[in-house]
Amino acid sequence: MLPPSRFATREPLAATQTADTRALLGSASDGDRIVSAHFLAGALFLILAGGFELLALFSLRFGGLSPVSYGRMESMANITVMLGFLVMSLTGGIYYVLPRLTGTRLWRRDLAFVGMLAMSGLVLVDLLAVVLGLGGGRQPFGLPWWLHIPMLAVLTIPFVVTVMTIRRREETRSFVTLWFVIGGVTWLPLLYLMYFAGDLPFVSSLAETYSDLFFSAGFVTLWVFVVGSGLFYYTVVKELEIPLASRQLAAVGFWSLGFAGAWWGTAQLVFGPGPGWIDGVSAALGLALPIGALANASNVSLTLQGHWERLSDKPGVVSGVIGLYLGVTVAILASFASFPSVGSVTALTAYWEAIEYGALFGVGVLLVAGIAFEAMPRVSGRDLSSLDRPRSFNRWTVIGAGGVMISLVAAGLVSGFSWVAGSNSASYVDAGDGWAAGAGASDVLLLFAVGFGVIAFLGQLAYAATVIGTLTIGRAVPQEILVYGSDGTQGTWEVTVEGRDDE
Amino acid sequence: MSDLSEAAAALGIPEALVERSAAARAAETGASVDEVLAAWAAGGDVPASVPSETPPAPTETSDAEEATEGPAPDAGAPAEETATSPPAAEESPPPAEKVVTPGPAEAPTTVSGKPPVLVGEADNPIGVLVGSVALFVAIFLVGLVGPALPAENPGARTSDLPFSEAAVRGQEIYQSVGCASCHTQMIRPVVADVDLGAVTFNDSNQVLGTRRFGPDLSNVGARVSGSQIEALVTGLGDHPSIALAPDDLAALVAYLLESRTLEGGAAAGNAGGEEPAAEEPAES
Repeated sequence: MLPPSRFATREPLAATQTADTRALLGSASDGDRIVSAHFLAGALFLILAGGFELLALFSLRFGGLSPVSYGRMESMANITVMLGFLVMSLTGGIYYVLPRLTGTRLWRRDLAFVGMLAMSGLVLVDLLAVVLGLGGGRQPFGLPWWLHIPMLAVLTIPFVVTVMTIRRREETRSFVTLWFVIGGVTWLPLLYLMYFAGDLPFVSSLAETYSDLFFSAGFVTLWVFVVGSGLFYYTVVKELEIPLASRQLAAVGFWSLGFAGAWWGTAQLVFGPGPGWIDGVSAALGLALPIGALANASNVSLTLQGHWERLSDKPGVVSGVIGLYLGVTVAILASFASFPSVGSVTALTAYWEAIEYGALFGVGVLLVAGIAFEAMPRVSGRDLSSLDRPRSFNRWTVIGAGGVMISLVAAGLVSGFSWVAGSNSASYVDAGDGWAAGAGASDVLLLFAVGFGVIAFLGQLAYAATVIGTLTIGRAVPQEILVYGSDGTQGTWEVTVEGRDDE
Repeated sequence: MSDLSEAAAALGIPEALVERSAAARAAETGASVDEVLAAWAAGGDVPASVPSETPPAPTETSDAEEATEGPAPDAGAPAEETATSPPAAEESPPPAEKVVTPGPAEAPTTVSGKPPVLVGEADNPIGVLVGSVALFVAIFLVGLVGPALPAENPGARTSDLPFSEAAVRGQEIYQSVGCASCHTQMIRPVVADVDLGAVTFNDSNQVLGTRRFGPDLSNVGARVSGSQIEALVTGLGDHPSIALAPDDLAALVAYLLESRTLEGGAAAGNAGGEEPAAEEPAES
């Protein structure tokens, strides 16, 4: 027998209360203000990240004209999009769902808020370190080793807050989102610890490179895909008030993504100086990646069956659905290139850059939007400032990020085949001409990537404008305020009311 | 005691919150803040107007009707998949309505008895936590530690060649500038890497890199001279201009000249700064 739920779903608020509700925005330090702050900071960092990435693409194509090298610009883009935007925003999403799924307050909201401030400050310090040339150059961030220590500490905060909140939960039944949240907050600091370990003095160059790739791939799979998908499950079910199609399929999605882990990272060194067996293992285990991505996408699609027409005024849900399917595309591309036969052409080329771009600036941004666009009215009491901007965001992100991906995949294939063909022809001299022939053939494709990058950047601006606009000029709407009993004892209900917060 | 204090006391709400709520209510109703506070302090209320732009609240009926279109419940996840059905008979249903706390105005503070859709089965999240850690450890051991371990009986270690002091410093500059974002120092036993030099072993002391937007630099010292490297680094052709202090530039050049996969290969080829005969440096 299942215990009774102590969770009450959202109750529409009376229209007459909107002004009071709006006034509550500045009230006590409730967890939802922290959520808004995370989304806001993430949006600001996304603008920076989009600009840096655009400059990185430009410097990749026009190296001689770029004032900053591709290496440094790419590191700066990675720092801002991965830490400043994706960690920040998805952490905000986690803090949004935790009280609602556990029936208890977010544990140590002050710690969560400090974590957000510390992350923001650290990202800025990281950028400064890279600009000043203090970094160690290790991808994806290129940071000096000593900056990894405070970053690791900050990345453990979501884990601590999540676990402690769940320990005090009132709701004993778990919605599937909780699995994904627990997995994500557990894996992220572990991943970063492994990345940091690559800086230890006794670690070989090979192990350091594996560590870099392990982290980059793991971040995408174990943080972006896992947490993004999990939070989107919550969004879909909550916004449309329809049941999830399958708990079992969600379990397949979660564990498959966990299992897929970072294999497509190690696969990038196919035929490299590592042992030969890792190539086969990476290819075989990497197959779990598209399985996990597809399981989540199909589960959401099944959930939405018969409700697709309701998405017309829910641009956030549309963003998330697109993000999930773009994730399937990215997963298939990564898994495909993990096979040694394909990897002999695609390894070291722009093909892998395409996958990383698509995962971070495509899937990641869309999944975050899927959560943020729907959560922000609830936590801020202000409606989306415009429905057109989110729609433009979806359109530009699909065209822009998708276009960059296609261009870079094509550029990678052209380079790879050129190298192989050049090696087998009489015209091949050595590395100098060999790589130049391949790179030259892909120049026009890199130019396309720059063009599509501009469109993607417009989408990122539209996202940031939506988030900032919602918080500043959004029309007042009923706010979802969580009220807890003063004793926090068993039987306390988490409810949606208007008018006060008992803190 | 002021109206504000009295209202806060009457409502059991912090003064700051009451003050903001009163200001908002006053703006909406056209009354003054003092009037609103006085009304609340007396336990009364202020007439409220309905903002015209506020959309009508959705009704439970419509949501429930829509929810019935969802997939059929699955025995494996009854609670989660029975959004349209009341909780199972043996469960204690949530109260249909529960008064929570009156707000500063006429807040309809009721809780719905709507069947939840955001709960699942009773389980132990700690199991997920333990499983996640175990899975990560397994992946870490197989995917990172395993391949990074030195191979047994490696044989000749032609890539493990000592660098000069200047070259060691140059390697740090090579990394901090971000050269490895575009250049590999890794020669693989594949056709694409034919003639690049000896295959890189797993004890390489070079910076392997993971992208090859520019040429591989494992044996760059055997192909180009120090002056050519210097020209490239400072912006020859399509190569970005890297602003470096003279000492740093010299160290970087030393590192690249000493980068080699065969004992004596690069150093001998460029002894005395001779120009290599094989080729012109490619654009990078």
